Amino acid sequence: MNKIPDATLDLSQIPDAPAIKKIAFSEQDIQSRVAELGREITRDYAGRDLVMVCVLKGTLYFFADLTRCIGLPAALDFMAVGMYPGTTNQTGVVRITKDLDVDITGRHVLVIEDIVRTGLTIGYLVQNMEARGPASINICTLLDNPAQRLVNVPVAYRGFDVSGEWLLGYGMDIHEKWRNLPYIAEVEKD
Amino acid sequence: MTVITLSRQMCSLGDEIASELAGRLGCQLIDRGNFLQQNLQDIATPADLRMLAESPKYYLREALPGSTFKQVLEERLQKAAHGGDAVIVGMGAQIIFSREKGALHIRTIASIKKRSARVKSQYRVSAGEAENILLNADKRHKRYVSALYGADNSDPALYDLVLNTDHLGVEDCVQAILALKEERERPKNPNEPEICPDEAPRKPPVFKNTAEEEFAGILNMYQMDWEYEPKTFPISWDAEGNITSAFSPDFYLPKFDTYIEITTMNQKYVTAKNRKVKKLRELYPGIHISIVYKHDFNSLIERFKMTKGEEQ
Repeated sequence: MNKIPDATLDLSQIPDAPAIKKIAFSEQDIQSRVAELGREITRDYAGRDLVMVCVLKGTLYFFADLTRCIGLPAALDFMAVGMYPGTTNQTGVVRITKDLDVDITGRHVLVIEDIVRTGLTIGYLVQNMEARGPASINICTLLDNPAQRLVNVPVAYRGFDVSGEWLLGYGMDIHEKWRNLPYIAEVEKD
Repeated sequence: MTVITLSRQMCSLGDEIASELAGRLGCQLIDRGNFLQQNLQDIATPADLRMLAESPKYYLREALPGSTFKQVLEERLQKAAHGGDAVIVGMGAQIIFSREKGALHIRTIASIKKRSARVKSQYRVSAGEAENILLNADKRHKRYVSALYGADNSDPALYDLVLNTDHLGVEDCVQAILALKEERERPKNPNEPEICPDEAPRKPPVFKNTAEEEFAGILNMYQMDWEYEPKTFPISWDAEGNITSAFSPDFYLPKFDTYIEITTMNQKYVTAKNRKVKKLRELYPGIHISIVYKHDFNSLIERFKMTKGEEQ
């Protein structure tokens, strides 16, 4: 029987792929840091009723890998936000397009993000979730850019610090593509 | 006439509180079960009633020429309530009566742990089954208010009082609601302000430049409460203690205890402003202040346009 070759996205073979400046974080870098974060979270949340919330879509791989490094019976759920247009370009509002299915009242919530820059989106989500009366709410982000932070949000766990680079892969996209790269690449701004 | 609406999470003691409250006030208790049976019989067949119990969207079907079940329900609920005092449980009454002068809107909640324990004891089910029952009930309540009114029933802004029954009993909650009702009905001194200063209509801020205005627009998009230049911090004093220099950050986000200063001007002014912010941080070490420089502001706007609001 013919063996089907491994299929991994190779940007160098794709004509319209974005130009990669460098691999910012390799698959190995990511997996090793994710395992460390998993151990820290397991230690800190031992004995607590933990709900881990994935903010779609950029966080999907980080969430999948991180939750499998958590040695606790955590509940997992998903949220997504989007822009609802208003009557003019200036009056649209950000709204939750996929809400939680689980009740978080009295439970310890850990929101998982791929990257926190200004903190506006995560701030919006934290504000919304706090109104539901959780016992605590914290944020775990794979990438953090504290220099761009505008809103004082509770980032308790961070994988790597980044600057203002343009990044893609491991969940992060450009026009909905390239999320399925197993590493994070820094690309030229198009 | 006083209408008290009560929205409740399943097993948060909402039904018990509503029943006790109606008894104390000697008024009618209106809940979905009795109301639909008694008030929609003339327009709804048994099959309609079953569908209304199952699917919120069924309420949007035409029940009478030109009126949906939802509209008929609202009209009849209002008519029933206007016959005297009433405690109304569920049915989106917090929204139907949101503009009713003097109405009190109450919500009862409790932790999943507490509610689960109540479900277990009430229905004799396992912990897992109890959680599933609660999950389904919460979803259905949420879906009903969302489908009929486009609102989130867990939004505290819909209520005058949210009671957590983890540590409060039925009596505690009834007393709290009665105290609030009494306070509402107390004749007010004509000199007493009708509304809290926080609720007084504020003048729209006069922004110094378009960047500030655009930034306020972004905060509005994220539904973040903000105040414009709410505070001035003294940052230097002369030998006699007179203030010689002060700094008023442009925005304050009370929920996040964060000040934001927008700086899209020339570099020579930016340096002076940086100095002020540095001084501010030294003098007020607990303060959270972020500066948005011209470059940051432009990239924020650019990212915002690219991702249609999903900027992080």
